[in-house]
Amino acid sequence: MKKSIFLVLALSLVMAGSLFSGGQQDEVEEVTLKWPCIWVGEDSKAAAVAALVDQFNADNAGKITIEIEAQPDYDGYRQKIRTSLTAGIVPDIFTVNHGPSSMEFYESDLVMDFTDELAKGWEKDFNEGTISQATMKGMIKSLPYEVAITPVWYNMDLLKKAGVSDYPKTYADFMDTAAKLKAAGIIPTSQMTGGSNAWTSMLWYSHFLASIGGPDVYEKPFESDAYVKAAEVLLAMYSDGNTSIDAIGGDAGVSGGHFLAAESAMFINGPWYIGRVRGDAPEVYAATEVGPAPAAGKNKGAQIGFLQTNFMAAANADNPAKAAAAVKFIKWMTEAENVAEISKQAGSLFAIKYDSSTISDPLQQKFIEASNNASFTIPHLASVVAADVVSEFGQALGSMALGESTPEEFVEMLKKVNNQ
Amino acid sequence: MKNNNIKMILLFLVPVAFLYTCFFIYPLGFVLSTSLVKWNGISSMKFVGIDNYKKLLTDKTFLLSIKNNIIWALSGGFIQIPLATLVALILARKPRGWKMLRTIYFLPNIISAVAIAMMWKAIYNPMYGFLNAFLEIFGIEGHNWLGEIGTALPSIIAQTVLYIGYFMIIILAATTTIPKSFYEAADIDGCSILQQEWYITLPMIRGILVTAMTLAMAYGMRHFEATFLMTNGGPAHSTSVMGLILYNKMDAFRLGEANATGTILIFLGTVVIVLIRKVLSRGDAGADSVQ
Repeated sequence: MKKSIFLVLALSLVMAGSLFSGGQQDEVEEVTLKWPCIWVGEDSKAAAVAALVDQFNADNAGKITIEIEAQPDYDGYRQKIRTSLTAGIVPDIFTVNHGPSSMEFYESDLVMDFTDELAKGWEKDFNEGTISQATMKGMIKSLPYEVAITPVWYNMDLLKKAGVSDYPKTYADFMDTAAKLKAAGIIPTSQMTGGSNAWTSMLWYSHFLASIGGPDVYEKPFESDAYVKAAEVLLAMYSDGNTSIDAIGGDAGVSGGHFLAAESAMFINGPWYIGRVRGDAPEVYAATEVGPAPAAGKNKGAQIGFLQTNFMAAANADNPAKAAAAVKFIKWMTEAENVAEISKQAGSLFAIKYDSSTISDPLQQKFIEASNNASFTIPHLASVVAADVVSEFGQALGSMALGESTPEEFVEMLKKVNNQ
Repeated sequence: MKNNNIKMILLFLVPVAFLYTCFFIYPLGFVLSTSLVKWNGISSMKFVGIDNYKKLLTDKTFLLSIKNNIIWALSGGFIQIPLATLVALILARKPRGWKMLRTIYFLPNIISAVAIAMMWKAIYNPMYGFLNAFLEIFGIEGHNWLGEIGTALPSIIAQTVLYIGYFMIIILAATTTIPKSFYEAADIDGCSILQQEWYITLPMIRGILVTAMTLAMAYGMRHFEATFLMTNGGPAHSTSVMGLILYNKMDAFRLGEANATGTILIFLGTVVIVLIRKVLSRGDAGADSVQ
């Protein structure tokens, strides 16, 4: 009797358990996606991105959760992503600076190919040409997101203080302006040889390449004499007090710092810096005009424009739910309204079609005008050459600025690394 | 019984051997083997023999980096350790406030190396830095300390070798093992303090000094942080070190070359350490017999 009761009870438990687990199998498991994100902390996009992620999580509560892993140091973040890829572990969602080194990611099976998703109509949301820029060997494994142009930022108050009414349009104008600025105790330009890519000076060099070499200057990197001539102009920027004495060895904090402190009159950076200037140096923000660099060659009015940041996602080939969730989140981040909100708050520009008429920031409007008025646009040098050429740029520039090598030798150093 | 003992010994050795194999032998073997390939970490490896080594050993920047690492090692062994020894010998005499001084000297060792490097970068700034402002008081012209080829490397080395706390503590601890009777006898014989330190203390702590020097020089051979943070190898590669070359190779997805750099670094580090121990350990047997 006892045995029978026990058997019945046991059978009942087993049946209840299978019913219960069958019920569980019908429920959708929540997907959590990890996003190591550089738009955190002091970054101008941090607040807007956090708000969008919170909204997405609320709208998809119980189904999809996006977890931001803060990565405030960009160089550290870049290393993390590369190391992860090498180790065969890719974050669910991440961003990259698009360039030649993106091919390493594209050739990996670990990263999602968006070609099929884009073909369903999503491609229309992106500005013309941006998807093709993100296409490598027929694969679209990253989605263009943030774009940038990097015009020269002119502090008009400082120029006026030196007796200059307008920013220089030619090289001869620049030398004249620089002399007046120096006489007034103002540093003419912000430069830097330090950091991982000598960013500010690399942008100045790219402007001179555009002006001297024209839109096709990157067809054969370091082969045409445009590269030497541009180096001569860059050397002039480092000579005779045309930049600060801490430019050699200085990093972005130095070059940006001088401009924010209203010590230097001419600086180069992208629209993501607008939020920083607006917050930290409102007087400089109010005095800033943007425009092309002084034309050092026959090509006038060129701008430097490029894909700044692209979205990537883990392929998650064995987890379709995660893959679908990643696509859903990136579509959310690329919705026109959401992009417009980030643009409005941070000053950044995007590869997605959105209504920029809602942008009220005057400096951001000037960026858009500068982009529209450009005679032509080329990307910056660091986005068309390999990573080791980028790291060699700052070293070769330091050598040239210290008089250890000539402009010809500067170009030879870069050419040697490029040809390896 | 003997078999049981052997089994027990092996049983205790197995976990350590396993960990040692996982975290040292295997990675070392992997680095050595992949130094012979062309590999970006993602696609398949291509065997290239000693091409990576040829490329490195014919690269002027890499050869300069080896030279810089040797300078770092020598600075550690022959500037930092003598400074640490001097301070340790003074503190061993227990002057007034010696405990506070011991703490002050050791404090930088508990602060992040990154924070210290950033602080010194600010100190060395030619326009706003404390150093140039201080020199200006005495009418001495300032420099772009991290931006000039002649001053960049000494400037980075100076901000590292000044932090002697770690080695000072080790050497100070070693002095406490010397019997006081030796100094009492020396006092009676009329030896000065300097003579006591030279003929008693230093020989007695020789073993520890050799160990400290070995550690300091090993650190110099694998140095990376301060250079990466303060100059990134510049200006014009003048402060480049092998650790930075390795990092840059990794950054460029040239993992075969990066591992070849690592292999050369391990080899050179081993040579330096073996040489130092051979040269400086002579006469250790004599010092031991006095004790």
